[in-house]
Parts: sequence; structure tokens; C-alpha cells
Amino acid sequence: MTTTLDQRYLTFSLGPEGYAIPLLSVREVIAVPEITPMPFTPAHFLGLMNLRGQVISVIDLRNKLGIKPLTATENAIIICELQSGHLGILVDSVDAVLTPTADAISSPPEVKGSLNRECIAGVFRHEEKLILLIDLEKTLSGDDRKAMSKPAVAQTQSPNKVA
Amino acid sequence: MDEFDEIKICFLDEAEQLLSATEQCFLDLEHKPGTDILEKIFRLAHNLKGSSKAVGFDGLGAFTHNLETFLLRIKEGKVVLGPEVVDLLLRCNDHLKFFVAELRANFAAQVNSEQLLDEIRQHMEEKQPDKVSEVVAPVVVTASPVVETQPAEILPEMRTEEPSDQGEGEASHEEIFVSQPSSQPSAVVAPAQAQAQADETIRVSLTRLERLLNHVGEMVILHSVLKEQSNTNTSSFLKKTIHQLGKVTREVQDISMGLRMLPLKPTFMKLQRIVRDTSRALGKEIALEMIGDDTELDKTVIEKLSDPLVHIVRNAIDHGVEGPEERVAAGKSAKGTIKLKAYHHVGQVVIEVADDGRGLDARKLVASAVKKGLIRPDAKLTDDEAYNLIFAPGFSTKDAVTDVSGRGVGMDVVRTNVDQLRGQTQIETKLGQGTCFRITLPLTLAIIDAMIVRLAKERFVIPLHHIYESVQASEMKMQIISGRGEVLLLRGENIPFHRLSTLLGRSTAGGLESGTALVIRASQGNAMAVFVDEVVGQSQAVIKPLGKEVKQIKGFSGSAILGDGLPSVILDIPELVKRLYPNLLTNGSGNRAARSIGA
Repeated sequence: MTTTLDQRYLTFSLGPEGYAIPLLSVREVIAVPEITPMPFTPAHFLGLMNLRGQVISVIDLRNKLGIKPLTATENAIIICELQSGHLGILVDSVDAVLTPTADAISSPPEVKGSLNRECIAGVFRHEEKLILLIDLEKTLSGDDRKAMSKPAVAQTQSPNKVA
Repeated sequence: MDEFDEIKICFLDEAEQLLSATEQCFLDLEHKPGTDILEKIFRLAHNLKGSSKAVGFDGLGAFTHNLETFLLRIKEGKVVLGPEVVDLLLRCNDHLKFFVAELRANFAAQVNSEQLLDEIRQHMEEKQPDKVSEVVAPVVVTASPVVETQPAEILPEMRTEEPSDQGEGEASHEEIFVSQPSSQPSAVVAPAQAQAQADETIRVSLTRLERLLNHVGEMVILHSVLKEQSNTNTSSFLKKTIHQLGKVTREVQDISMGLRMLPLKPTFMKLQRIVRDTSRALGKEIALEMIGDDTELDKTVIEKLSDPLVHIVRNAIDHGVEGPEERVAAGKSAKGTIKLKAYHHVGQVVIEVADDGRGLDARKLVASAVKKGLIRPDAKLTDDEAYNLIFAPGFSTKDAVTDVSGRGVGMDVVRTNVDQLRGQTQIETKLGQGTCFRITLPLTLAIIDAMIVRLAKERFVIPLHHIYESVQASEMKMQIISGRGEVLLLRGENIPFHRLSTLLGRSTAGGLESGTALVIRASQGNAMAVFVDEVVGQSQAVIKPLGKEVKQIKGFSGSAILGDGLPSVILDIPELVKRLYPNLLTNGSGNRAARSIGA
């Protein structure tokens, strides 16, 4: 089977868990720059960063998914190209580019979690570790997008961000 | 979209430009009829006809062809060029514009042109065709060799349709339409076009331009970082290079910023048409003078400015300039004048619309406003406040709504749009002598003059044009109104006082020992003071849009990258106040004139 670009995934870690996104949706991976926090945003919205003249929002995916961060690991930001534009995603570490075969990817297991099932496009095994293919559009869209603009949510969240 | 469709779209773009050029020519024709203008129109019409047939818009081509016939008659002096004829020509132009717009929506669109064609025929039939053959003979001869420059299939098509569209005795003309303009491209057309297009242009998408601007902005920041570093370096060569890099960088920045700028000319041309049509409809004689139509403004500014200018000009024609009898009775010339003027003034662009009409009467304005219930009958207004009443929504001195005015919407649009452009409107008027509307605008929307303020460790940007003045903490006179908050007493005015920390939802309300209060006056709404820890400085900032995730959050109008390369949000203070106290501003958010009376 020949590999096409579409089958390549970038895997990264959030805490102890492994995730992957299609490589084509990744623009670049950068070290964490200085980030300007923004008022009235939920806790997982870290703020704004300057990527060569472009102002980009940065989101802490661990916080969003309710995963405890591992303090010891290095941090990185994946700049993704979503339909709505560029978005920076803070992850614990960027691991590898993998090309799982189509039959290695199975549908997500039926477990209860903080994440909606439809946000996981599938799972595959890599070196005894389960890696979840996460759909960023779905994860960050819907009620969450709206929540960001809701003043009530935002105001209770902002003080702890400043601290 | 296949290739041919692209050609069609390309043609429609071109046709639009051609039509605005012809409109201008028709208007010129009325003032100073001359063969050179007619020649130009003729060429433009011929271009349009030729290329519309080439891309398969036969309906458009057929109509243009008839228009061309008519133009030829005018050129030959067989149709007298009076106002009605110019009127008809202008309506034909409108019709063509409409046609082009329809074609843009649907390539197969057909528009019924019969009514206009009938009118054209009527005008032509009034004069009998004579001496035709003399004119034709020499032209036809020269025509044949040059015709090849046109797409070959056009010619037979044109001829085949003539009999159906034209009356008898016209056949001899057809040769001319086809041949005359195309017979001269080498001699006459080419130099004329070269003159008009001396500066060659290309179309570039705005997204690409914006990407360029982003990188240029980044370059400026990188340069300033380099420059800072070079202070610790002793190499004079390095210093010199960085200094030169700075010069080049600034130059590149200036040029790239200028790429978004367009001249005001097309906007002014549109107004010329409005002046002509509106004044004729109202039976007034008005001349329009235009000065500085080559003044350039940001594309977005120009787009937003078009409507306000139309409203001001219509207002000037309807309310400003008197009818001929009234003017003569007042010792003025029967013909009124409206002056459009655009010029640069200290980093801003000023646009003036001045008429020599009757001027604004403060007492009448107040009386009308009282009648419409906009202000209280016992209100005391200064003259300036009274003049500003005309910007209030729903204000009109007219009792009846007409085609031209009376709904009280127009001038409200002026204030709102100019406001959105971060500009100001001013009125200068003298009773019996005229009124001048002055709009002052920033050169571009992409850059703002910004005040950078600090709150604890965070920095925020506040647009400078909102800020009226700043008051140091040590000079503030405060008054606490229990249950309503704090008020800053400033020269007899009581200004609601807000702490930025509270506005941003921070729990810590610090003391007022040190810091600065900024007095904010948006043109819509009350004055307010906002207290910040420190004013860090002023600078120009390039506005960057916020991502979709945070765009809807009220109170932030964008972001900007500060001198050290870190992004910062641009605060919209009135919005922030509204967000925190939703009921506070609703009463006072109307027009400033109305508000100062205590509405």
C-alpha cells in the first residue's frame, strides 16, 4: 500500500495520553512564546501570540479536555490550520509523524469521558499505546465557541487566569 | 468555472470601468460639448460593443450598437445635444450598468431595452438624414485594411442585425460604426489610451496584500529588536548596516501601506451624477466644483464614505441651495454652487461639501426638533448643538417625505458611518451664505494612533481618537454617589468614573493613589473616565483582527502588536462599560446634541 500525505498523522501527548491530528492540518510546531492573556475568555483560552506578524489565539488542549498537565515535560505549540483560521494548541510534547494503515484505525471505544464521542474520529495502537485521532474542529466548535463569548462564564474565569 | 467564463467575468469588470468612464464623459458633454469628448465616448462605446460580442453577450452588444448609432448622429450634428439628450444618454448608461450587473449574476440574462431604443429612435427621426454619403466614403476605404485587428467574426454579426434594429436610409451608416473607430486605432485611439493608462496597473487580491502587510509589520519589529541589540555591539559596520536597514524598512512600510489607497475620483464622479439628476428633479440650477479628487484614502474608508457623501450632497441640493427665484431675490446668481474638496491636513484627510445656499437656521432646527419630539420644548441649545441636530435619527425639517429627502435617515447615516471610520463631522454655516460639511478621516483603518496603558502587569491599547484628555491621580476630584458609583468632577462636568480593573472583571479594586484617568468621549454616548495604573506611551499600531474564537467578545475591537513584539488587545471602552452595566448607557447613547440637553 502506498502512503499518501493524507494518511500521515502528527502524534502528541497531553499528560499521559496520546493524541493525533492529520499532518495536513498542521502548519508548524513552535516553542512556547510569550502569550498575552485576554480578559473574558474561558480558562483553556491561554491568550494571543505573535506569529511573524499574525496574531493567533492559543488554546490549552489539556485544560479543555480536563487532562492534568505533567509539569516535567517540555511544552510545544502546534499551529493548526482550521476552517476558521489559524489556531495555536498547547501540548505537552510533540512525538512523531505516524502512518497507520487504514485497517489499523478502529472506531473509538465506548468509554465515558469528558470528550464527546464525535470529537474522536478513531483510535489506533502504536507501541502498546492507544492513540486517539482527535477532530479539532468538532472539539472546539459548538457550545464551546459560544461559551467563549458568554460574559457570565468569562467573568468568573478571568481572575484566575490573571493570577 | 471554465476558461471562457473567466473571460466573461473579466469582460464584465472591464465593462463596469468603461461605463463609469462614459458616464463621466456624458456629464462633461453637457457642460462643454466638444468633438474630442464625443470621440472618446464613441471609442468607449465601440470597445464595449466589440468585446461584448466577442464574449457572446449579444444582447448587450446589440443595445450598444444602437447607442453608437445615436452617438454618431450627435457627432455629425444631426441630433441637437440638449439636456434631454444627455438625460437619455445617461439613462442608457444606467441601463447598460444594470445590464452588466444582471449578466454578472447570470450569463444568460436578457434585459428588455425596447423602451430606451424607442426613445433613441424618436430622437433620431426628428432629424432627416442627409449628406450621409459624403461622410461615409472616405472612411470606408481606410477601414478595410485595419478591420483585421478586430476579432473577425464580429463584423458579419454586426451587419446582419442592422436591418432589424434600424429604420430605412440608415444602412450606409453601419460601415462607419464598424470601421471608423477601428480604422484609427493606430493614429488616434492608441495615443489617447496610452495617456489614460500611462501608469499600468494590475489587480491584486486584498488577502495577498494583507499578507504582505503582516510580514512588513514583522520586519519593522525585527528591525527595532536588531537596533536595540546593536547598542551593545561595538561594530560600526553592523551599526551602519542596521541604520540603513531601518531606512529601507520604513520605505517598504510606507509603500506597502500605500497599496491599499485609492483615489477619491470615482466617488466624486458618482456625486456629479447625483447633483445633476437631483437638481434637475427639483428644478434648481447647480454647478458642482471638485477639487482634490486625486486625494487617496484606504479602500475600506472609501467604501464606507460613499453613502455619507451622497446624503450630504443630496441634503445640500434639497435644503441648502435655494431655487433660482429665491436666489435672485437674495441677490445671488441664479445658479447655485456645490464645492467638493478633499485634501490632507496633519495626517488626516479632510473632505468638505460646501454649498452657497441659505445656510442653517438654528431656531428653525430647534423648532423642528421640538415638533418631532427629539428635544424638550424648554431646551436651551447653543447654535452648534442646534446644527448637530440634523444628524439625529428621525430628524427632518420636512413635513412631507419626498423622493429626495424627508425621512430623517440620511444625515444619521453620515454620523454613524463617519463614526465607524473613526472620523469626525463638523458643520460650518452662515445664514443666507451657505453651509459647509467637513468630514475629517484617518488615512487608513489599518493603523491607529494608540495609547498604551498598563493595568497591573498587563498592557492594553486604547484608540487615541477616543481619548479627550488625561487626568493624573493627584489632580482628580472624586465624588462618590452611593449606589451609583464614582464620579470625576472636571471643570464643572460630572463624568462617570470606571476602573479598568472592574471593567475587565478583575476582583482587585486598588486605590486611586497613583495612576491616570482617561476621559473618553465617543461621539455616540456619554463622556466617561477610565482609570488605569499607568499610561505607558503612545504609538501607531497596526490593527490585527482577532481569531474567530474570540471575535464575538464585546469590548475588544482587535489586537495590535506592541513595540516589543507582544500582542495586546485593543479596548473599546464604551463597549466594556456597556457590558458591565447593560442599563447604564441605554438612555444616553443617542445623539450628543440631544443628550447634552438631558434627554
